[in-house]
Amino acid sequence: MIQFENATRTYGNKVAVSDLSLTIPSGELFALLGPNGAGKTTTIKMLVGLLRPSRGVIRVCGHDLITETRSAHLHLGYVPDEPYLYDKLTGHEFLRFIADMYRIPRDLSQERIKREIDRFELHEFADELAENYSLGMRQRLVFAAAFLHDPDVLVLDEPMVGLDPRSVRIVKDLLKAKTADGMTVFMSTHTLAMAEEMADRMGIMVQGNLKFLGTVSELREQVDMETRSLENLYLEITSSETGEHEVASDDI
Amino acid sequence: MQNQLLDIPQENQLTRRLRGTIAWNLVTTIFHQSRFRFGLVLVLSTIFWAAVFCLFYDAFNFIDSMHAEVMSLLFNTFFSALMVMMIFSTGILMYGGLYRSGESSFLLTCPLRTEAIHAHKFTEALWFSSWGFILLGSPMLIAYGIVRDAPWSFFIMLIPFIVTFVIIPASIGSILCMLVVAGLPRLRLHTLSISLALVAMGILWFSWSTFGSIQSQALTPAWFEETLSRLAMTEQVFLPSWWLSSGLLDAALGGESRELTHKSTLEALKFLGLILANALFLSLVASWVARWTYRKGYSNLQAEVPIRRHRKLFWLDELLSHAGSQVGNPVRLLLVKDLQIFRRDVSQWSQFVIFFGLLALYFYNLRSFNYSHVYASLIGHLNLAVVGLILSTFTTRFVFPSISLEGRRFWILGLLPIHRDQIVWSKFLFSFVGGLIPCLGLILLSDSMLGLPWSSIFVHLMCCLALCGGLSGIAVGMGASMPNFRESSPAKIAAGFGGTLSLVLSAMFIILIVITVGFTNHLNLLQQTIGQLSGNTASRLLGSYGGQVASLLIIIAGGLLTTFLPLVLGIRAFRQLEP
Repeated sequence: MIQFENATRTYGNKVAVSDLSLTIPSGELFALLGPNGAGKTTTIKMLVGLLRPSRGVIRVCGHDLITETRSAHLHLGYVPDEPYLYDKLTGHEFLRFIADMYRIPRDLSQERIKREIDRFELHEFADELAENYSLGMRQRLVFAAAFLHDPDVLVLDEPMVGLDPRSVRIVKDLLKAKTADGMTVFMSTHTLAMAEEMADRMGIMVQGNLKFLGTVSELREQVDMETRSLENLYLEITSSETGEHEVASDDI
Repeated sequence: MQNQLLDIPQENQLTRRLRGTIAWNLVTTIFHQSRFRFGLVLVLSTIFWAAVFCLFYDAFNFIDSMHAEVMSLLFNTFFSALMVMMIFSTGILMYGGLYRSGESSFLLTCPLRTEAIHAHKFTEALWFSSWGFILLGSPMLIAYGIVRDAPWSFFIMLIPFIVTFVIIPASIGSILCMLVVAGLPRLRLHTLSISLALVAMGILWFSWSTFGSIQSQALTPAWFEETLSRLAMTEQVFLPSWWLSSGLLDAALGGESRELTHKSTLEALKFLGLILANALFLSLVASWVARWTYRKGYSNLQAEVPIRRHRKLFWLDELLSHAGSQVGNPVRLLLVKDLQIFRRDVSQWSQFVIFFGLLALYFYNLRSFNYSHVYASLIGHLNLAVVGLILSTFTTRFVFPSISLEGRRFWILGLLPIHRDQIVWSKFLFSFVGGLIPCLGLILLSDSMLGLPWSSIFVHLMCCLALCGGLSGIAVGMGASMPNFRESSPAKIAAGFGGTLSLVLSAMFIILIVITVGFTNHLNLLQQTIGQLSGNTASRLLGSYGGQVASLLIIIAGGLLTTFLPLVLGIRAFRQLEP
């Protein structure tokens, strides 16, 4: 479970995320949408502990990310938009490293590494150095690493970038299965179709404020438009708010 | 099954195993894929080590027989200077490792203690910042031990002395880095700039007060005495460098009697214990600082608002864009683009400024030494070689990868109405002109400080011209012939086979040029100074003006060949290229 309680993050005078209060229960896939500079990446960075909120509290499975950082991280899996891999480690060695980090016993970790290699079809390159991997291969390995310790909460930042259609299908099916088993998924995306297809609930963030929170059907009900495509609804919500104050950096 | 947190030894074991695996994979990759580079690095390092050893062996023999009492002073000066340098180098490396690396972002999202992440990055930084110390310090200390006929325990103790000592400045650098980032994130650049400026001023002041205002004539016994008395400030009992110097000097004592050896070894062990205790204490402090400040500092740094600057066209860019004919326009535009990138890439121009600035400082100080003509000529030629070697490192590091990096943006260039040859020519012109201006200035400074005659200065300037052309030709030509489009890091491109070969060829070209001109020019000066040479006819001919003119012609021909041959081959290869 994820809890944001009045989480606020400022960059100098600019409020990147303002008083975010949100609870995502176990077994829910939540999609965060918003234009560039809306505060999505800031929210994700706070959720994984890279940024501290200026005010408020964030909890993962009941653990405060500031005071119980390691305990919170124990429950967390993270797939960033620009995944980091050790170039001089093979895929297999990287998974072994992750397994050891979560203190998974050796026999169980062997089993899980094999499971993830099978699941993400890494056999062909698992024993090659990561420096030779393509973007898609890297992304698949990062997914495998994120699922290796069976996290209770999975945070995904633009997860499908670089994946081929088959891998996208694998990830989508896996996310559905895992959320059905009780995993909480927090996903930031620009792909509206993906959010529409996958998300139990979605939030639309504009200039640091959560402008909409609910299901797709609730979103359709809220905005009265003739053409009820999600794209039009999204543009309607975001267009009135974005404008001259948009921050240049896409990372905020 | 529920995941579990690692305890401290397990975390250390995990990161140690990670570094070990990475190092092993790195070595095996280099050995299998870049044997040439691996062999070259090994051979050059061995030659360097042996040369430093011989130099110190002779120097210690000389000092031991005449001025044994200054040994402590020299050790103190050497180690205190290294200590200061290590504080800064580790601080800078830790900043990059802890706050700016992808690995730190990754590790901070893992269930690891911040102390473990710090210890992991600290070990890396320690290795990177101290390898120079090991490469320079080990031949010096071994040479000292041999000259002093030190007991075997001295050689055994060298390793723990060096290892424990380097931890002290490295910890201080790391602590300072974390405190600056946590306390002054917004002012970090200003703080860093001001600190560096203050240190630079301090070093300049120290150099000036140590050597500049000495009344005695240079290189006389009185001059040495005065200089050494000023260096005595490094002999402070509270400095770790003093503990190291004293410990090593004690460890090297003995030989006369077993009792004396035993006593001095015990004294050395006391100093080793002192260094070890301080190293451990400072490591603990660094770990403690990491626990309390690292995450906060990282977060503060992430939350900094990027400074948005509206950049206007610089006057030089404007001037270049509108100069010359319409035909050369694409080359000029590419030059302006490269100039803009160079100006905005701090890593490029700062290295350029530091290396050429240090050379300029050294050349400027040459006037303090009143060399005879013959020695001045020798030093002038060596300075020419040094300028060439520094330039070759820049052409290999920055110019060689430029074509490969351009290739990554080939889809932009491919759509522009530019001939591919013009891209190669623009790179060459950029490198040639960019190198020529500082190199000519440095050679003029060196030769005028040495008081060389105008004929020698002219020859050196011609050599400089040939060197700039040749080195640029090699770097650009080979960069176009052997591009690497898979790699985005210029450092990695330069470190590949093509870059290494380019560096080796550049070094060979420099040696050939300097030897060709140096030999005839030197013989000519000898003839002028001591009259007709008594050697064979060949020496007389080479030393004559005719010989000088011939060497100059060889240099011009060699320079033109080395400039244009690789360029032509590179252009041909670049035309066929399909990125």
